[in-house]
Amino acid sequence: MGRIIEEIYVWRLPVRFYHWINALCMVVLFATGLYIAAPVLNPPLGEAVWYKGMGWWRYLHFAFAFIFIANFLFRLYWALFGGDRYARFGGFRPWSPEWWGKPFREQVESYLFLRSDEPNYVGHNPVAALAHFIFIFCGSTFMIFSGLAMYGENNPGGFNGVWFGWLIPLFGGSYSLHFAHHLLSWIFPVYVIMHLYAVFRHDIVDRTSVTSSIITGYKHKVEEEP
Amino acid sequence: MQSNQTFADLFRSRGVSRRDFLKFCSLTSVYLGLSPSLAPSIVEAMENKPRTPVLWIHGLECTCCSESFIRSSHPTIEDLLFNMISLDYDDVLSAAAGHQLEAVRHKIMKEYKGKYILAVEGNVSTKDDGVYCMVGGDSFLNILKETAADAAAIIAWGSCASFGCVQNAAPNPSGAAPVSDIIKDKPIVKVPGCPPISEVMTGVIAHFHTFGTLPELDRLGRPKAFYNTRIHDKCYRRAFFDAGMFVRSFDDDATRKGWCLYKMGCKGPTTYNSCSKIQWNGGTSFPIGSGHPCIGCSEPNFWDKGPFYSRLAEVPFLGSDSNADKIGMVAVGAAAAGAAAHAAVTAVKKAQSDKLGNDKA
Repeated sequence: MGRIIEEIYVWRLPVRFYHWINALCMVVLFATGLYIAAPVLNPPLGEAVWYKGMGWWRYLHFAFAFIFIANFLFRLYWALFGGDRYARFGGFRPWSPEWWGKPFREQVESYLFLRSDEPNYVGHNPVAALAHFIFIFCGSTFMIFSGLAMYGENNPGGFNGVWFGWLIPLFGGSYSLHFAHHLLSWIFPVYVIMHLYAVFRHDIVDRTSVTSSIITGYKHKVEEEP
Repeated sequence: MQSNQTFADLFRSRGVSRRDFLKFCSLTSVYLGLSPSLAPSIVEAMENKPRTPVLWIHGLECTCCSESFIRSSHPTIEDLLFNMISLDYDDVLSAAAGHQLEAVRHKIMKEYKGKYILAVEGNVSTKDDGVYCMVGGDSFLNILKETAADAAAIIAWGSCASFGCVQNAAPNPSGAAPVSDIIKDKPIVKVPGCPPISEVMTGVIAHFHTFGTLPELDRLGRPKAFYNTRIHDKCYRRAFFDAGMFVRSFDDDATRKGWCLYKMGCKGPTTYNSCSKIQWNGGTSFPIGSGHPCIGCSEPNFWDKGPFYSRLAEVPFLGSDSNADKIGMVAVGAAAAGAAAHAAVTAVKKAQSDKLGNDKA
């Protein structure tokens, strides 16, 4: 076994908090969302006025949605103004052809087993950055905007209706927007599977303790075996 | 019909008492969401303003909008209002026919240039120069363009004229298009529903007649007074929804108890209309009240968002009927399979390189 030769503080406390709050919100939102679409539990016994069964599932969904939004906004703030070199947007420039150049190609080739060495990054590698941009940034943005548009339907003419209600005609009606929100919520379990696999694999292959780094904040470099 | 007749004159000639007339005016102001102080302006307009001429033309449609009025069990004041309006020009209800009737349309268009309301029931076939809907020897496409040119405003009656309805459901063989796709330079009020509620229709006309402007419209061009909230928001079964008490099949005990129809595919939560407020046929009932889930008939393209009896729409995916959950599960399965395959290749490569390393050593 290789000796640990360096300890690097990668994920600062705000980033770790963001990560776990986001993870919890995703799980709760996905589960409550599926339940709202298909309420499978047996109905309670007695009068409707005694219960709020479905109401609570919706309430949970909305409450965690607002936590999710606040957390997302905090992460945007941290990326733009946090001055955290491993958590900023700085390196991610998909509009520039340069970004798609050597480092990105090397990482893709490595994932496709086209090269034997693994490029090693302390923060996110370029492929991971792209995946996070697509799934987490774009995906969350869509879910937040469509969610707030539908939440605004509960209070016509209110803040959410005025600021986000334009998505309803854009998607051709409330039902279509619900459908899009439902369909695209599946990108999160897809993302979680790919994310967990990539983390575990990197931890095993590179031995950088990336799995525990999101709890402790520290990644390690190990001595190459002779 | 004598010209410059007011609504009040007409009601009187039909034997409607002043008391009933005032009731109609105040009810209409309530439906329109006006403050009580504005009810007298409706009365004044109905009594003094010469009635606004309405040309009612029919395109690709089933006449359910017209039927919803003439089939009512007793002649309500709304019927009178509408029968009177149709007397100007309505190729379905008018006694006259053929050239005689077309002459009336041209006369109104000339005499009330820029002042009449054009009511359109049904939508427009646009394929092959509109030959799939011919009226009076000309395509409905041409008739609509001609009649709309001098109209003050257009009211699109029903889901066909507003959004397209069954005619432009996929694959839309006749190229049917809603009125707003054809006429771009006139104010259009969309009054969707298959058919729309009669009180909603009279309310829109009364508003235009009283204030000379169209009622306030929402983002989809529907009058806010009637289409601002969802059926779900005012549904008398909402308590069962919030409690989680759902009908699961049409023959279960919950059906008899009148529980929520959400799981039976009710589109009430995504459908904007007044059915649960005003109800139908003088407040007799509405679909959910009769134990049937809402099919969302006043929403755009509701035919293509089916089936009516399931919450989640079916969409074609990989050559089969699918829904959002099935597509999502396929994606999750593909991601898991991809990860497993990648892990397997990683393990094989590792074993190979270990072997190589051992051989070297």
